Amino acid sequence: MISRPEGTTLAELQGRFAAALRASDDEADAAAARFAEHVDGDGLAPAARIEVYRNNVLAMFEGALARTYPVLRRRVGDGYFRGLARAYRDAHPSRSGDLHWVGRSFPAWLASYLAGGEYAWLADLARLEWGCEEAQVAGQAAPLEPAALAKVVPDELGDARLVLQASVRLIESAYPVWSVWRENQPDAPGAPVDFSIGPQRVVVACGESGLVLHSVPEDHFRFVAALASGATLGTAVDESGVAIDHLPALLRWLFSAGLVTAVAVAGSGERRHEEIA
Amino acid sequence: MGDALSMRFPGGPVPARAGIGLRSVHHAEVVEYRPPVGWVEVHTENYFHDGGPHLRALERVREHYPLSLHGVGLGLGSIEPLDRDHLARVRRAIERFEPALVSEHACWGHSGGEHFNDLLPLPYTDEAVEHLASRVRQVQDHLGRQILIENLSSYFAYTASSLPEWEFLTAVVERSGCGLLLDVNNVYVNSVNLGLDAARFIAGVPAAAVQEIHLAGHRRNRVAGRDLLIDDHGSAVCDDVWKLYQQAIARLGPVPTLIEWDTDVPSLDVLVAEACKADGYLEIVRDLAA
Repeated sequence: MISRPEGTTLAELQGRFAAALRASDDEADAAAARFAEHVDGDGLAPAARIEVYRNNVLAMFEGALARTYPVLRRRVGDGYFRGLARAYRDAHPSRSGDLHWVGRSFPAWLASYLAGGEYAWLADLARLEWGCEEAQVAGQAAPLEPAALAKVVPDELGDARLVLQASVRLIESAYPVWSVWRENQPDAPGAPVDFSIGPQRVVVACGESGLVLHSVPEDHFRFVAALASGATLGTAVDESGVAIDHLPALLRWLFSAGLVTAVAVAGSGERRHEEIA
Repeated sequence: MGDALSMRFPGGPVPARAGIGLRSVHHAEVVEYRPPVGWVEVHTENYFHDGGPHLRALERVREHYPLSLHGVGLGLGSIEPLDRDHLARVRRAIERFEPALVSEHACWGHSGGEHFNDLLPLPYTDEAVEHLASRVRQVQDHLGRQILIENLSSYFAYTASSLPEWEFLTAVVERSGCGLLLDVNNVYVNSVNLGLDAARFIAGVPAAAVQEIHLAGHRRNRVAGRDLLIDDHGSAVCDDVWKLYQQAIARLGPVPTLIEWDTDVPSLDVLVAEACKADGYLEIVRDLAA
């Protein structure tokens, strides 16, 4: 019969169990030994029983990170990804009972972890995948028909603001991350990407039919970024350097991609399609 | 998502039939084919967000099936305070989806600001009874409704435990007014892992409090020459668990029964076939009672 440690409070038990769960591989044996007196081995070493929980906790964390970063995982391989997940967890343990948020700090952490090395671009890929994750859980409003824009008085057009879907995320990278993302989708061949393509800029959004990634030219990206920050159409054109004769096609694309949910005219607040009509 | 919040779904309780755990891979198929299951259950945390395809899919499923919201992340028995934001999101999910049942686990999950995202066991002591019961009351007050708490699979027993698991759960029910979600697979897993007496557990739970049953598969690991069962919800319900289930409903009567399958999720027909099997046993119990 194992002697029962008297007077150990629930708080102390949880604190010691927690220490065993968060121990690194090197510290695991010692941390388990400190908790072992509270564990009824029933024919098994207490450490072996504690290890089941330590493995479960790690697997839950790694699994959640893998679900958020499937492209990065495919690109680097399971073994390397697992190593990244462990190092990341040491720096950023889970702070929520909702595992969805586990990967929020991963892109920034990865950027410093890989800084200056050959694979620094993976942090941009992670940024893109986190953008996809956020887009997929954002609220969604019905997309506005392009006709709504035609109802704005031409004189007021430059002062109009386009309200974009809450799911829109803008990712700019010095590397061809959109090409890497596309080549590493489950049904894609995973062909090597020619990095001499150079920078890519991606508009991510999630609509009725699911996630969509648009790789767009730099001036279009700046235009969408200006709109997203609340700029008027006029300011967005000025800031982005979009050629005025490209503007109609750019606006048609924004609407047909379902990215616009409302048109607001200066001074009159936000106007929805119905209100303009 | 203002529209979703004002939406009204069919009301009524979860029927005393078999339901299935709904995973996102089956959303579209369930909406399109409406499989013959009595109800569905989802993990509450998967529907915490503002919007997105998964939320909309569950709204469509909810139009046709009673729903149970099953939380896996609140860590009710943690000594540290409950996460108010997490609790607020549970409430928002309840308002949005109008579930017939809401459940959590008799576990703890966070310490020192770190969440372990696992269902960690509590010692079965008077102190833990009082703590868990007060937390259950806090949650029920916040949500304005009764919740069910589920018994866990465990990989060790605490030397500090002074009560059998069923007496611990009974005491929490008595002190908080919550209901029980009896996971029969977890009882079986604990009988192998901890030498728990499964028959006494089934005979000992407060029958009137059991409002839902879970059935699932587990993985059999060999550790230092003996079996240790891992509750991975990744396979069919095993024969021993079906037998224990029959004992349970023989005592408790027909209780809504869920087939849980969360890893290596099979095709929808496999899940539905497992649910049909449970429905068969429920039918026998109903006939005997008639």
